[in-house]
Amino acid sequence: MDAVEKANEARQKRWSKDKKVGEGMYAVVYQGHEAETGKRVAIKKIKVGQFKDGLDMSAIREVKFLRELKHQNVIELFDVFSSKTNLNLVLEFLDADLELIIKDRAIVFLPADIKSWMAMTLRGLEFCHRNWVLHRDLKPNNLLIASDGQLKIADFGLARDFADPGYKMTCQVITRWYRPPELLFGCRYYNTAVDMWSVGCIFAELMLRIPYLPGESDMDQLKTTFRALGTPTEEDWPGHTKLPDYVPVGQFPKPPLRDLFTAATADALNLLGKCLIYEPRKRISAKDALSHPYFFALPNPTHPSKLPKSANQLAPRPIEEANGNVDQNTSGAAVKALNPSATSTNKLKRKASVAITEVDARSVARRLDFSNIKTP
Amino acid sequence: MSRAGGLLKGTVIRKSGFQSTQQSRSATPQVASSSTSITANIPLGGGVKDATGKTAEYSVHLSLLLKSMEDQCPVCKSDRYLNPKLRLLVSACYHKMCESCIDRLFTLGPAPCPICNKTLRKLAFMPQTFEDLGVEKEVAVRRRLAKDFNKKREDFPDLKTYNDYLEDVEDITFNLINDIDIAKTEARIAKFRQDNAAIIEANIQRDESYASSLREKEEGERREREETARRLAQEEEEQRILREIERQQLIDKLEHSDKDARKLVAKSRAERLKQQQARAAALGTTTQRDASKAIRTRAAQSTIPDPPHVPLQDDWYAYEDKFTLRSGGYYDPISEAVRRDADGIMRAGGYVVEDIWERAIRTAVAGLDILPLSGFPIKEATPQATAARDVDVEMVGVPG
Repeated sequence: MDAVEKANEARQKRWSKDKKVGEGMYAVVYQGHEAETGKRVAIKKIKVGQFKDGLDMSAIREVKFLRELKHQNVIELFDVFSSKTNLNLVLEFLDADLELIIKDRAIVFLPADIKSWMAMTLRGLEFCHRNWVLHRDLKPNNLLIASDGQLKIADFGLARDFADPGYKMTCQVITRWYRPPELLFGCRYYNTAVDMWSVGCIFAELMLRIPYLPGESDMDQLKTTFRALGTPTEEDWPGHTKLPDYVPVGQFPKPPLRDLFTAATADALNLLGKCLIYEPRKRISAKDALSHPYFFALPNPTHPSKLPKSANQLAPRPIEEANGNVDQNTSGAAVKALNPSATSTNKLKRKASVAITEVDARSVARRLDFSNIKTP
Repeated sequence: MSRAGGLLKGTVIRKSGFQSTQQSRSATPQVASSSTSITANIPLGGGVKDATGKTAEYSVHLSLLLKSMEDQCPVCKSDRYLNPKLRLLVSACYHKMCESCIDRLFTLGPAPCPICNKTLRKLAFMPQTFEDLGVEKEVAVRRRLAKDFNKKREDFPDLKTYNDYLEDVEDITFNLINDIDIAKTEARIAKFRQDNAAIIEANIQRDESYASSLREKEEGERREREETARRLAQEEEEQRILREIERQQLIDKLEHSDKDARKLVAKSRAERLKQQQARAAALGTTTQRDASKAIRTRAAQSTIPDPPHVPLQDDWYAYEDKFTLRSGGYYDPISEAVRRDADGIMRAGGYVVEDIWERAIRTAVAGLDILPLSGFPIKEATPQATAARDVDVEMVGVPG
């Protein structure tokens, strides 16, 4: 046994797996704890050998960036070790994500809560950007909530470093609903602005409680975006017509944000508008966003420990966290497909209850005596 | 105000039915003493507009299926025995016809009604809601009028003018139902609509917001009920488990302890009683909360105050005191092609060449304080580090 193997074994002994909490495309997630302190952790066991190039790309990315990023609002990678043929990532254990909370209809969001979540998201993102890392998959599902209420950016499976000269980057990143138009137009050179667009979409979703731009396909995503924010002109966004995959999708007027976000403050709409500017260079940066008047206006952002928690928070985490986002398009479609069916069953239920009450209504109407009125 | 037969027109909603409508004119639609009971109907447009949408088609209803076995199409005389799928629809002139007759007669365009010769169109047929077609017509007329005549007590200066208005509406309704002076009545409606366009529009919006607030309230109450039921079930389960544990403990004690068994039992009983009381007290405080209060208490219970926003909470340092970017750019053959960017693709995507230079220089100066790895610790670290800090960073980028 050489030194490396010995070191690995020592590490392996430090952590123990308790139970499986989720399984995804390329990983199984276990709940575990540190053997000495009993600290709860999540152990992500990455399946090796299924992929013909060896390790899955997103596992490499996750390890590469999480080893370097250590911040209050970024998920912490405690350790990495291998067991037999598997690679294990020991991560912070977080029991909820923002999507769960947004979907929990029993929770009421105060404006201060949204402000607090936004501030924490932007702080985590600013830290990534300061360290030259693009996250490239921001969505409520990837913003995890710790038990003390702190929000942590997770899932760096699509992250990459930016500002390296001359390299093309792929445009097939970011879950579709949160993907900025420059990526939909196939742009291969982009920067931190892509993450800020996602933050804008998340901000809107926090206020609306439903996804803001739910496109059904890449084409439809462009249409949905332009319908909500108006078709960009050459003046709004110089040069966008020359992007590789540019297609005209029709002219839509720009409706004021106020129409949809009726309850938002002027500051909130101003920040939202700045996150959703078409021209990436004009889009607000994470650092500037944190200094936006929205955050300084009253009410103060809620203290993390007082933020609302989901009742399902203690239930096992949904599997998406383990899903390595290997195929962005299918995961987007699956989420989309689920939503209408869920709402349609609700509608059916409502109809059924109406039918029952009709019996009463009808019997009253028929008891009246209309025999002395002639039919015209 | 002329009125045919001196009748007050009946409404379907008032439970008194048509008998009561045979009253003399002196009974105004509304007297001050009973105003509340009548105005209660008004938000729903005199009861005709159904805010809840809970109306069903007449013959489709299950309890009526038996009765509707006698249904017969007056045109083709086919009945439910001959055609189990028979569905009678009502024409604009209030004559029943089965679907196949309608298809046969009106597919090729407008045609005269086989009963009264009025020209009809296929699309104007509607499903029947009421057994009596007279009621059907009255409901349709009232529904139509309620759309425009939606003024309320608040829109009038005094009760008298409001009552006059209600009488006017009833007049028009009566005329339309009994086909009296149709042309003149239509003109009256059109005039009213023109005169009151703004008020009508405002009232429509008011009704809509009322209906939606009603829906929201219902939804909230339902959620609250579910929540309470869930909590109660959970509490019951917890209590059951507790009782089980206590019982087990008592048995264990009786088994192992050498104290008097009777004393042990009495002691555990007293303990249980105390716990129950404590639980009941706690329960009292928890059940007082309801969903709407929970929001406010969450904000009010702020034992921890919400601190004002601090943009960045870590010790942000990006070495910006150690370098400045040259305004003229750098000689950089690697990014040359990207920088030329004839088509503006880079610009449109938001890629900034300055980012590349900043990254290169920032990472370079970040490394200046760090000693090279040498395998053993160096004691004299400080002079070297301070020397490194003084390096002119402009040198990092070769001027081009």
